[in-house]
Amino acid sequence: MSTNAPQPDRALTPTAIDALTMDTTPWLSCEDCFERMDIYVEALARDGSHDDAAMAAHLRGCPACAEEADSLVDLVTGSGT
Amino acid sequence: MSTTNRDEPLPLGLSPSRGQEAPVGDREPDDWVTALATPGAAQHDAMRRLHALMVRAAAHQVWRMRASLPEPSRDAVNDLANQAADEAMTALLGKLHTFQGRSRFTTWAFKFAILQAATEVRRLQWQHRELELRDLDVAAPVHDGPEHAAEAQDLGTALARAMRSVLTPHQRRVAVALLVDGVPIDVLAERLGSTRGALYKTVHDVRVRLRAELVATGHLTAVTPPSNSAGTS
Ligand SMILES: [Zn+2]
Repeated sequence: MSTNAPQPDRALTPTAIDALTMDTTPWLSCEDCFERMDIYVEALARDGSHDDAAMAAHLRGCPACAEEADSLVDLVTGSGT
Repeated sequence: MSTTNRDEPLPLGLSPSRGQEAPVGDREPDDWVTALATPGAAQHDAMRRLHALMVRAAAHQVWRMRASLPEPSRDAVNDLANQAADEAMTALLGKLHTFQGRSRFTTWAFKFAILQAATEVRRLQWQHRELELRDLDVAAPVHDGPEHAAEAQDLGTALARAMRSVLTPHQRRVAVALLVDGVPIDVLAERLGSTRGALYKTVHDVRVRLRAELVATGHLTAVTPPSNSAGTS
């Protein structure tokens, strides 16, 4: 009807606002997250209150790494298979 | 975020390794790294067992995300799991020398299969979808309920303004794709010839800049002090 530009709903939803303004410090890269994911997951399986601020911040801000960590928890705790 | 089905367990018939009858359990090597790295019969056995573990982990992952698959049949899940396990095994063997024994070897191995399988499911999910990097095009923010409408609108408006003023065009496009449109990070990385790590760094920088700007304009409170500072200033 108008230009060739797509016309999706571009309003910022509350979810997008949260995602854009999330505090993901202290910094941790995806590579380092993968590097320590096994150690983190085992520590978490042993002690549910295990705290690693950088890991927690990364998993909050990176849905892909979060899904994989969550899945690894399931697998090692036997709740997924 | 990907659709996952964490409630239902992997059906028994689906799990490990069609045609790979390695019994995973009793007789795993005590020292996986040596067993896998030393040529001989023990190496062959260790490889077989490792592959079975990788298929199990990959199947676990594909099953969790099966709702995202174009064809979520049992055979498709199985094929995908086997393929992901093969690739993950190659990746793992290339990094075998880096295993330090700080976790169980099996946990360390599983993460390679999970990463590979999850990445592959996301790739398939977006395979036939157009993906273009678009700039921010926000007229007015939407909101959930009347009580927070003005506040959310105000924050949303300020945020849109901040995105235009403190982000580079590249940062804005990446942020819109990942955080507004919900494109998976590894899908975007593949399309851009980039990496998950590089895009996450961009997103992190975006958030830091936006938060600083919104704190400066009074729309956010700087509540989070550096967390490694117990007892220090
Ligand atoms: Zn990540």
